[in-house]
Amino acid sequence: MRVFQPAMRISLLWCCAGLLLGIVVLIQLKLEQHSGGRIAKLEQLRLLPRGEVLRPALLGYHHVGADFLWLRVVQVLGDRVVRDQDYEWLYHALDVITTLDPKYVYAYEAGGTVLAELAARVDLSNQLLEKGLAPNPNSWQIPFKLGFNHFFHLNNYRRAADYLAQAARVPGEFPIGPPLYTARLAARLYAQGNNPDVALEFLAGMLDQTTDEKIRGQLMRRIKRVSLERDLQMLERAVQQFVETRDTRPPSLAKLVEAGLLAQIPHEPYGGEYRLDSATGDVTSSTHSERMRVYRSSDSMASEGDPE
Amino acid sequence: MIARILSISLNSFRENLREKLLYNLLIFALLMIGSSILLSRITIGDYHRLILDIGLASINLFGVLIAIFVGIGLVSKEIDRKTIYTIVSKPIPRYAFLLGKYFGLVITLLANTAVMVLGLLVVLYVMDVPITGLFFQSIGLIFLELMVITAVALLFSTFTSSTLSAIFTLGIYVIGHMSGDLKELAKKLDEISQAIINVVYYVLPNLERFNLKGHVIHGLDFGASDMALTISYGLTYAGLLLLLAGIIFQRRDFQ
Amino acid sequence: MATSTIILKTEALRKTFKVGFWGRQVTALEGLDLEVRQGEVFGFLGPNGAGKTTTLKILMGLIYPTSGQAWLFGKPIGDRDSKARLGFLPESPYFYDYLTGAEFLRFYGDLFGLSVSVVNRRIGELLELVGMTHARDLQLRKFSKGMLQRIGIAQALINDPELVVLDEPMSGLDPIGRKEIRDLILRLKEEGKTIFFSSHILHDAEMLCDRVSILVKGRLVAMGRVSDLIGADSTHSIEVLVEGLGSDGLAQVKPLTEKVTVTGDRALLILKGQQSVNEVLERIRTAKAKLISLTPHNSSLEDLFIRQVREQRGEE
Repeated sequence: MRVFQPAMRISLLWCCAGLLLGIVVLIQLKLEQHSGGRIAKLEQLRLLPRGEVLRPALLGYHHVGADFLWLRVVQVLGDRVVRDQDYEWLYHALDVITTLDPKYVYAYEAGGTVLAELAARVDLSNQLLEKGLAPNPNSWQIPFKLGFNHFFHLNNYRRAADYLAQAARVPGEFPIGPPLYTARLAARLYAQGNNPDVALEFLAGMLDQTTDEKIRGQLMRRIKRVSLERDLQMLERAVQQFVETRDTRPPSLAKLVEAGLLAQIPHEPYGGEYRLDSATGDVTSSTHSERMRVYRSSDSMASEGDPE
Repeated sequence: MIARILSISLNSFRENLREKLLYNLLIFALLMIGSSILLSRITIGDYHRLILDIGLASINLFGVLIAIFVGIGLVSKEIDRKTIYTIVSKPIPRYAFLLGKYFGLVITLLANTAVMVLGLLVVLYVMDVPITGLFFQSIGLIFLELMVITAVALLFSTFTSSTLSAIFTLGIYVIGHMSGDLKELAKKLDEISQAIINVVYYVLPNLERFNLKGHVIHGLDFGASDMALTISYGLTYAGLLLLLAGIIFQRRDFQ
Repeated sequence: MATSTIILKTEALRKTFKVGFWGRQVTALEGLDLEVRQGEVFGFLGPNGAGKTTTLKILMGLIYPTSGQAWLFGKPIGDRDSKARLGFLPESPYFYDYLTGAEFLRFYGDLFGLSVSVVNRRIGELLELVGMTHARDLQLRKFSKGMLQRIGIAQALINDPELVVLDEPMSGLDPIGRKEIRDLILRLKEEGKTIFFSSHILHDAEMLCDRVSILVKGRLVAMGRVSDLIGADSTHSIEVLVEGLGSDGLAQVKPLTEKVTVTGDRALLILKGQQSVNEVLERIRTAKAKLISLTPHNSSLEDLFIRQVREQRGEE
């Protein structure tokens, strides 16, 4: 017995502390396996108060708030299985973020793309993007994306062209300003909205701007599908020309090449082949029987969705 | 020994009851809870949710404020005012003093939370909002969070000034609610940052675990085993903090 | 009494503190050896900052010594059984001011684990003892400084301790308050308790203490019975104040005195020892001067104290 603290007892207590810490960590691990921490996170995004309310509550730190929320949205999105009903909260979260920081161009752009391409909620995507137009007159991405939505998802070429023209007017060189082809694309949209070539150019432009793998995949699928349509239209035009010049239907597609109407028969993008019904003169694909009506109709205001 | 700890607790409780801060916060909380009635009049649609939201958040927030700002003074005030001299010289071990002070504030918080919950229950009853078992589960976990935060404040107040304790405890509170997100974010970082964040995540209290507010509002089930695990998590963590506080306090000189 | 058991003992007790940002070492106590015996009133004296409170804090288990050892009731300090036989009043205490006198004492009674009936009895006895029965239901924040000191002593006595340790019990009190505390200490001594108190007010200590020790700058410079300490180098002197002595008279008296101070018509004569008193008085009478006062000046603890402090400081 001494006046000093017995060193033994203290180290024993430290051991106890270590033990307790171990138990704490164990329970944490156990809890992690148990309840999806994810649910809680989603809940929080859903519970987010409206931006107008949150903004004053952040006492001037609303930009940081927007960043922080954006990070949450990104990580929740990153490893989620897409469930349709969950995109309501995504829109809500994006709405809050863009209210906190109305100039957060990337949030509009990426959010708009995710909503339209992954969530198939063009309505929400457009709502978000349109909200971003006024505070960001120098962003070409927002009108570009709006144009894309109107072109592909709503088949409204006129408005798509309007938005693209707006994007094209943003000064500066790419990537500060719009890509060079934007103005040309707008012009072509005004003239021939239902031309698959225009669509392909638009898609290629979109693909250029997109880094997210999921969305790139989506765009690439679309490009394939439109390419198929373009090929079919090209083949049909060749058949038409054949009939006009020879007054008889071509017996096979190869004849079109022989007649010099085509340089070659294009490859079917899905790995199938193009077939010609010599009785009717119809050209079809072995993989897709349905046609994309959008590009056949001469009415550029067609509003039906295109099959995939 | 338990009787002696209890008499320190009751003395501490009495002392806390004299804190003006306590009443200010309590009144503020009750006003917040009450104001949810007004807010629910101007909202469209789901006012149940609004009342529950505001009510639970108020109970939580004001409980935390009380736990922090009363908790940091628990020990340092006794040292500053030298009242601790008369206690440590009595035949009770120092840890008993610490435990007494801790439970004194826990009793204070219990009384406070009870008042706030009562206020909320009245509002819920008046507004015809259904009261579920989940609601009480959520209150229970809020209280558990308060116990952990009190222990954090107590730990800091055994070796730093009140001001520093307040800052540290607030820091732990904020990190405790963010560490889960930090861990998720870390998945996209390099290994060293990941390791650091993982240590922070597992060693610091994960206060998000005690947050059932979302569950209550959306009526999501919180299973009994989850509840048991969460409770044991909170109690073990508080125990760990008290043990550390005890070790530090035992070695401390009272100047 | 000198042969009775040693109740408090320290051996080479040393304490250094780290101060400031850089952790500069400051020595508060430099190898202190003390012994307090059962039943005595022991004065622990020294100027402010000598290390008295530090010593008491070590004994009460409030701080830990850097080196050295200490025992209370023959057991190393910190032992809970010996703490139960101890009462302590800290220096200028602040108490829980929201408690009433009775609640306050009850709280400390509970800390000793005393039964309700014992506590109730002790509360009555102690309030009586310290003359505070009227303050039974009065909150401590309405107490005067003297009342706080008295309730503080009552607090220290709640467990009927064998050893009572008081840190500066008389400081900050008016003369009446000090007398009350002195009386209280003497009563406790009559009850057979050992009292160990620190003080820088030597007059009180001299009247109360069986033994004293003098601490200067963390070192013990003297320890023993008051009479022994003073007797060892006692130099009695006598002060004589006269009026209207005149220059002739003054010249007559001067050879017999040690020092003369003249202020207007008055003269203060300081005589060394008893032997010249009669002669001086005779000469004053013949000079027809008026004797104002004659004060025998015993060498006091104060002289010893001041000398010791000066010596210590001179050493540095």
